Amino acid sequence: MDSILRAAGMYVALMLLFRVAGRRSLADLTTFDFVLLLIIGEATQQALLGEDFSFTNAILVIATLIVLDVGLSLAKLNSRPLARLLDGHATLVVEQGRFLHQRMRRARLTEDDILESARDSQGLERVEQIKFAIVERNGKISIIPRN
Amino acid sequence: MNEDELISRHHPVNEDMPRQHRVWRFERVGWYTLVLLVILALAGLFGNGPLSDAQPVRTDGRIEVDYQRLTHTGNIDNLRITVRGAPGEQVILLLGRTLLQTASIETMQPQPQMSRSHGKALLMELGTGKDGIATLYLTLRSEHVGILEGIVRAGQASAVNFSTFLYP
Repeated sequence: MDSILRAAGMYVALMLLFRVAGRRSLADLTTFDFVLLLIIGEATQQALLGEDFSFTNAILVIATLIVLDVGLSLAKLNSRPLARLLDGHATLVVEQGRFLHQRMRRARLTEDDILESARDSQGLERVEQIKFAIVERNGKISIIPRN
Repeated sequence: MNEDELISRHHPVNEDMPRQHRVWRFERVGWYTLVLLVILALAGLFGNGPLSDAQPVRTDGRIEVDYQRLTHTGNIDNLRITVRGAPGEQVILLLGRTLLQTASIETMQPQPQMSRSHGKALLMELGTGKDGIATLYLTLRSEHVGILEGIVRAGQASAVNFSTFLYP
């Protein structure tokens, strides 16, 4: 029973923490982000398993996490408001070649981040060439070029 | 935020700016909460810090207990008990209540001259030095979550009650 509760508690805690961290935090993995992710994984693992390194415990923990994760995605499928609440909305940050600076600030994005995505995905050089830049729900920046 | 950026766009994506603002506010408030949590943790809210160190002393000064008021389950904590007695004579110490029943005693230094059970409590005899002080060092470990209470008694009149809270 212990391991189930621990896994469920950890799932909720991680979901809250990553919600606070925002969608951008781990969207583009730099080397440092990758190391950070490993450390978070390591810290989580200790709390999840406790001192019980048995096969049974590992399966129970994994099963609990999958049950919660699939359950939540099923719930999101049935409830649009819940999906909106958990996944958020896509947000425009460049409109017709113009940066929407206040939105970018709230989303912790710089002009360089957007131009980098523009170069990377569309080979664009200047902001004027961008019709729309959108921060997607998963934190990635989509670029739609001007014709 | 200027008026234009507040308006929800419907092309190329459907926005909901009021909700997005709530999300951003949640992130901001959450960040401050985490900062507060880190500061409190540094201060010892989760053990090992000024907020957590406790040293209850019996009013007559005979017994002194050093322990962690706040700790977490599975952690190993030090408990130091100092008793004043007559120089060169033994003092009899009784350790009881939930703390000493549910937590396992990992180490005990020095080994008491005599130790036996007394109901649900533990009775032990310690030798004192020239200054009449006997000190017992214990390391305790508990898998319990919640409040545990302990009592240290030397003789009939002197007793120190203390309690510790264990986070999950």
